[in-house]
Parts: sequence; C-alpha cells; structure tokens
Amino acid sequence: MTFLILIVAITAVVFLSLFLLRNRWTNTWKNRAHVVMAYPAFLILLLMAYIPMSGLILAFKNFNYSKGIFASPWVEPIYKNFTFLLASKGDFLTMTKNTFMYYFIFTILGTFLNIVLAIAIDQFLFKRMAKTMQTIMIIPVFVSYAAVQFIVFAFLSSDMGIINTTLGTNTKFYTTAPLWPYILTTVKIWNSVGYGSVLYMSVLAGIDTGLYEAAQIDGAGKWKQIWHITLPELVPMITVMLLLSVGGIMRSDTGLFYQVTRDSGILYSTTQVIDSYVLHAILKNPNYGFTGATTFFQSIVGLLMILGANGLVRKLAPENALF
Amino acid sequence: MAKVDLDMAPSRREKKGPAQYVLGFFLLLYTLFCGLPIVLVFISAFTDELCIVQNGYSFFPQKWSTDGMHSVLKYGKQLMTSYGITILITVVGTLFGLFVMSMFAYAISRPGFRLSRFLSVYLLIPMLFSGGQLSAYVIFTSLYGLKDNLLLLILPLAVSTMNVIILRTYIVNSVPMELMEAAKIDGAGDYRTFFQITLPLMKPALAAVGFMMATAYWNEWQNALIYIASDNKKPLQLLLVNIQKNIEFLLNSNNVPAAARAAMGGAIPQQSATMATVVVVIGPIMVVYPFFQKYFIKGLTVGSVKG
Repeated sequence: MTFLILIVAITAVVFLSLFLLRNRWTNTWKNRAHVVMAYPAFLILLLMAYIPMSGLILAFKNFNYSKGIFASPWVEPIYKNFTFLLASKGDFLTMTKNTFMYYFIFTILGTFLNIVLAIAIDQFLFKRMAKTMQTIMIIPVFVSYAAVQFIVFAFLSSDMGIINTTLGTNTKFYTTAPLWPYILTTVKIWNSVGYGSVLYMSVLAGIDTGLYEAAQIDGAGKWKQIWHITLPELVPMITVMLLLSVGGIMRSDTGLFYQVTRDSGILYSTTQVIDSYVLHAILKNPNYGFTGATTFFQSIVGLLMILGANGLVRKLAPENALF
Repeated sequence: MAKVDLDMAPSRREKKGPAQYVLGFFLLLYTLFCGLPIVLVFISAFTDELCIVQNGYSFFPQKWSTDGMHSVLKYGKQLMTSYGITILITVVGTLFGLFVMSMFAYAISRPGFRLSRFLSVYLLIPMLFSGGQLSAYVIFTSLYGLKDNLLLLILPLAVSTMNVIILRTYIVNSVPMELMEAAKIDGAGDYRTFFQITLPLMKPALAAVGFMMATAYWNEWQNALIYIASDNKKPLQLLLVNIQKNIEFLLNSNNVPAAARAAMGGAIPQQSATMATVVVVIGPIMVVYPFFQKYFIKGLTVGSVKG
C-alpha cells in the first residue's frame, strides 16, 4: 500500500513539474514523449536502486523495526556501530579478507581463462564442432547455485561422493576448511568461463581478417599473430570488464558462498564473504548495527575502488575509461 | 544492417594440421569438464536410491530406477504451484523488463534529447554503487511495506544497467538512423516510430537480453529466500533450497533412529529424489537454451562491441 502511494506520488511530482516548467525546460517539453518512455525504467531504478541506498544510514542508527528506518534514533556516539566491527576483529577481518581473496582469484584467473578459451575456440578450425563444444561450455552458467550445491555434493560427499569413491579415499570435504578455496574456484570456473569467453569471442570475430593474412605473408607464425594482433585488439574489452568488476570488489557471487558451502559454520574461516554473512544475518534476525556498519563499509570501499581504478585508467588510456 | 555471420565469421582457408587436433583435444577435455556434472545429475536422478547410498554417486550405476522421479511427484501440489510461480515471474518479469528497458534505451539514444545525458549517468550509477542487501531488505520491508510479495521477485531484476546498455548500443549501431528519420518525416510520432520501426528491428538484441533475463528470473532464489514466506508464493528454486534444509534437519536430529529413517523411505527426499528435483528445476532451461543460443550469442555480440 505504502508502495503504491509512493509510486503515484513520485509520478505526480515528476510530470506535474514537467508540465509547470514547460516554458523553462523547452527541450524536455518538446521531447516529452521520450520522457514518458524513459519514465518506467527510471522509476524502477529509483525504487529498487536509489532509494535503497538510503538504507546505508542504518550504520549510524539504533534501528527499531516498529519506528522504521528514518525515525529510529541515531547512535551515540555516531561511530559506535563501527567500534563493534573493530572489536569483533576475527569475524570482520576474516570475511573482508575472504572477499578480497576470492575477488582477486576469480578476476585474475577468470579473465585469463576467458581469453585463453576465446582464442582457443577462435583458432579451432573445425567450426561446427567448436560451436557444439561452446554450447556445452555455456550451459553451467544457467544452473542456479541452489542446484549446483547438489552437484558439488555428489562429487564431494565423504561417503557417496564420486571423488572419494573413485580414489578410494575418505576425505571429509565438508569439514575441511583449507580445501574450499580450491573447490570454490573450480566451481566458479566451471560456472562462468564458458559464458565469459563469449564476449571476448565477439571481439575476435570482429578483427579484420586482412590483418592475419598480411601477417602471414610477412612470415608471422600463429603465436606471433596472437601476440601482436589478437591480444592488442582485446585490450579495450579487458579494461572495460576489469573496470566494471572493480566496483564489485566487495561483492561476491552470494550463491556460490552461501549455497555451495551449505552455509556451514565449520567452513567460515575460508568461505565466509561479506555478502554471504549479510544474507545469513538477514535470515537469522540481524544485529542491525553491526550488519549495517558492515554493509556501509562494503558499499563505500566498492565506490572508492571504482573511482580510483577509473581515475587510473583515465590517466593511462583515456579512451578505455568508463566515465 | 550489415550482415555478419558471427558464428562462422572469418572463414580462413588454412590447413588443419596436427596442432588443430591437439587444440581439439584440450577443448574436448574442457567441454567434458563443463558437461559431465550436468550429465551426472540426470543419471543420479534415475539411479536406485540404495545404489547411491551404498556405492556412492556414479556415472555408471549398477541399478536404474524411477523412484526418485516418483517421489518428486509426491510433492505434487507444491511442485505445480512452484512451477506456476516461477513461470509467472519469469514471463511477466522478462516481458515487462524488456519493454521498459527498450523504451529507456530508445529515449536516451535520441539525438537532440538533452535529458539523455543525465539519464545515462543516472543509469550508470547503480552499477557502480549500491546500498547492498541489508539496505534493500530494510527499505523494501520497512519503508515500502512489501513482504511476502511477488513484486519483490520481479522488480529488482527488471531493469539492469548492463542490459539497457546492450539495447542502446544495438539501437545506435544496428538500427539505421535514416529509417527512423524517414518515419518522422512521413508523420509518424515518437511512439509510433518506436513501436513500428525500432522495436521490430531490435529483435536479435531483445532475444539475447530476454533470454538472459529469463534465466536470471528462473534461477532467482535469494530474494525468494529473504522475502517469500507463504507456500503458495514459493518459486521452484526455493523448493530446492528447502529440500536441502529438510535433509539437514533430518540428518542432524539424532532423535530419529536410523531404522526409522530408513522406514520413512521415499517420504524423505533422499539422494535420487533430490537429483530428480534438480532435473525438474533445470530441465526447462536445458531444453530451451539450444534454440536461443544463436540469438543469445549474436545479440550479446552485436550489442556489446563498441563502434
């Protein structure tokens, strides 16, 4: 109900001001059809992305559900919730460390494998077969992690898992934390590399074949062609993809860490990331102060990272910068 | 529109030397790595329960059985309800999302529309900065008063920056400007130009984005887990999540003796039944995907390459 009223109110304000200011905003008024067309998506972004950003003030509030977020009292002193973070060293540091660690593993290894796979498929001359293979490689990305966890279980279960029965071992994967960075990385690669390579392949397909022919005439071998023609052509796409991913440095594939590990406490030391912690907290009646402070930290660090990275790219290769 | 067959694009006339076979071997290995786990799901769904419990999961089970599938049907009503919910949010969400996003993409790609600069920045910011899950949770439930509401499964995924960018790039690069201008000269208004000229020409991009959206909706479990409480609103994925919870509960509760557990038999979703549920949940995507792959790769490609 509140939601409906909000939608009507915002819509009324937007279009009323457009109408009242039509003499001042001549261009906008002339293009009012475009305003109308852009409006629904605008409204959804406002409701689903922009207004929720205000939820970050939770970090400074003593949240009381019945009062709502804005009427809840501020904490005294204002940074109190953050002192909890630092006081809980263990938890907070572990999940922050894990978040960063997995980001770097997944991004570096993932990008590398995406490119290798894209080039490999591109170089493979049995085109029909390459296409069939690619079809299969992309499939995993369409399997939700809620389902993937059962596949992983079928491989890793200590008494029924394929790995243990095949090797005749009895490794207790689900209680051995140090193994999980490898397991999660494998699952992530399985899930996303086939799909990730599609974007790079599209760039490869767009490279002027004349370049390769010229190189061949000049006597350049396959590796030389890849190094001097293919890779440089991929750089803009790589930069853009990396830049985009930097903003998500504090965010993770929640399903991977929450579902595949079965949110198992024994594994937290190597598997808990900020996002899976927050999801766990929401489901188990959160300590709003602590969780809010964590979320705030997560969002701000993400923002700073992308601003920094974009600034850096703008200095080095301005044409590849995002903004 | 420039016709580039991207799948088969550069037909280089080269000899298929031994290096090609080595490359093919490695590609085949990776293909197996990707495909076999999925095959295992289907095999396990039709493996005898006792066989799994005693010998473990296997690609070559000693005994086949349809018991797993049968016990899935025991969820009966809940399964049908969940299927209905998932199909509903997938269809409604995808169509609605495509509609509002392509209108937005069209509007911001119009030359001479000064607001489009502001709107482009407005579109980009959510990709760079977000309030995170907890903020969304508190705002949705406490400020909007939305709880146990299917809107919470549809709206958050309806508009995504990346998809709008793909659609906009497609309009700019592949829908001829002259055509839209000609329509205008012939007296077609903005709406008419969009619906009768631009939208039909956007089909490849719409198919690509639409397929990605549909799988995102189909696979959505997180918002469902957080917001959906009543059984008649639970999507399929939540059913999967809950099955796991049920198994854990049963195995953890030591007060259920082993014999009693065995006697319950098919009533508890055990290994093969769980896999059968996975089949039921991921099956439709596996069936539909090959038909969409063409559009999916082409649209993604055409939309994402600059210039």
